[in-house]
Amino acid sequence: MTTIAEFMTTDHKSCDDAFAVAEENALDGDWGKTETAFNAFRDDMARHFRMEEDALFPALLSAGGPSGPVNVMLMEHEQIRGLLEQMATAVTQKNADKYGGLSETLLIVMQQHNHKEENILYPIADQVLASECAALLGRMQAV
Amino acid sequence: MKIASLSTEQAPPISVPLRFFAIAPAFLALAALLLAIADGNPFANLHAPSQIAATHYVTLGFMAMVMVGAVQQLLPVVIGSPMPAPRLVAWFTFLPLIAGVLALSTGFMLGRTELLDLSWPLLGLAFLVFIAASLTSLAQAAAQNVTKTALMLSIVSLAGAVAFGMLLARGYAASSPLPYAKLAAAHISLALGGWVLLLSIGVSYQVVPMFQLTPNYPKWLTTGLAPAIFATLLLHVALLLAESSQHWLVVIVEVSFWALACCFAVVTLRLQNQRRRRVADATLSFFRLGMFSLLLAAAFSLAALILPSAGEQLRTLSALAFIMGFALSLIQGMLYKIVPFLVWFHLFRGGAKAIKVGVPNMKEIIPEAWMWRHLWLQGGTLPAALLASQWDAAAWVAIPGLLLQGVLLSYGVFTGITVYRLTLKRIEQAEI
Repeated sequence: MTTIAEFMTTDHKSCDDAFAVAEENALDGDWGKTETAFNAFRDDMARHFRMEEDALFPALLSAGGPSGPVNVMLMEHEQIRGLLEQMATAVTQKNADKYGGLSETLLIVMQQHNHKEENILYPIADQVLASECAALLGRMQAV
Repeated sequence: MKIASLSTEQAPPISVPLRFFAIAPAFLALAALLLAIADGNPFANLHAPSQIAATHYVTLGFMAMVMVGAVQQLLPVVIGSPMPAPRLVAWFTFLPLIAGVLALSTGFMLGRTELLDLSWPLLGLAFLVFIAASLTSLAQAAAQNVTKTALMLSIVSLAGAVAFGMLLARGYAASSPLPYAKLAAAHISLALGGWVLLLSIGVSYQVVPMFQLTPNYPKWLTTGLAPAIFATLLLHVALLLAESSQHWLVVIVEVSFWALACCFAVVTLRLQNQRRRRVADATLSFFRLGMFSLLLAAAFSLAALILPSAGEQLRTLSALAFIMGFALSLIQGMLYKIVPFLVWFHLFRGGAKAIKVGVPNMKEIIPEAWMWRHLWLQGGTLPAALLASQWDAAAWVAIPGLLLQGVLLSYGVFTGITVYRLTLKRIEQAEI
């Protein structure tokens, strides 16, 4: 059976792929393709955050999971949203330098965040939510 | 499972790592100046006093300075365990390291034994504080991961390298009858093969996949590589210090060490070839130059075993490829990622005020064009240094190259610090 950690790690990788395509297009100066790729990336990120904020984190907290790490993750979601907003402005302005600097920053923030989730938070979730894992994965996919 | 390791608050104050990164490039410039005033061609004989002095400006003043600062940042963030008393540890490492390396290199350069006698207690203090604090942090970390193992073995190797180094400096100062060649070989083996290579490996496990979206290092490699390298180093040191040891055994141990080092370089290059992030990146290019240099260092060392008549020259080339090519490329490339990210990260913690003022992104903190210029300079300095060991004229390309690298890196780091200070001031003055 798929674990929460496996499912969410796969989703991180798919967000990474979308990130890489958008960045490559922006630095190539192909703004038509960049807009499409960036919107796809932003949508992927928004869906991933919804899976966590609307389904996984509430389930974890109500099952007695630790609130401290969840709050740290929520704070980092806000950091990432802030950077995505600035990147959207760079796409509108067709500013490759600005986009490149922001995507470089976002990449490290995002990778550190993913690393913490994949190595600490998701394994905790798999432990705490073992009995309702299948139902929870279903709710997350439906988001 | 250590929940607290999710907290960003565990990162030390920005001044802890930045002080090390700010001063380190000055030692590259100092090394170049020493080489410039040395008699003859300093690259031809790595055992000449002026070359020993310059080498320690590079290995201690630059490399160890950056590495010691980086580990203090890295342990809390990657291993999830803060260093005890981070500010105190930083000062008691930073100041004696600067004073110790200045005394050591000046002592060698001028042949002043009292300076050598001053240097080894100072360096001993700096490293003792650093090693004790790092091992405490590692021992307290609940997380078990491959980076933790590599870092621990790297720091244990450093302890050995420092012990041999102190013994050598004390021995030179007191003209003690010591087996200098054997002790120096053990010192170099643990310092470069252990402290530098194992730390690079531990850090690469984290940053290579992170910066370029490559696949992770394979499990067979991350589980076995660092312990295997450490074991070959211990065997090497034991064989060096033994009264008599079989030559073939030494050869097997050396070949094993270089085979493992090559394995790391080849796997890293292959992972980077499979990266999903395809955009040009100066740190990636520095890293790749470093890995090719590591392969070159291995080739020279293995050639020295096959051609004993040219052994001395080939070992000199290997040491130059390792220090000037592998270590310098990796460290400089990493600094161009770490410094802008630290500045951004600490400014962003200013919260709503920071967002209102606007935190510069990483490429606005150190301009990318400078990083590429530095990469080209490094790409030119390295072959010149290798050629200089055989051809005197090339030294006059390598020396200014090294000097300019110190200046460029210094400019980059201070630009980052200036952006940090100015933006922080604006954040503090801003009203919501």
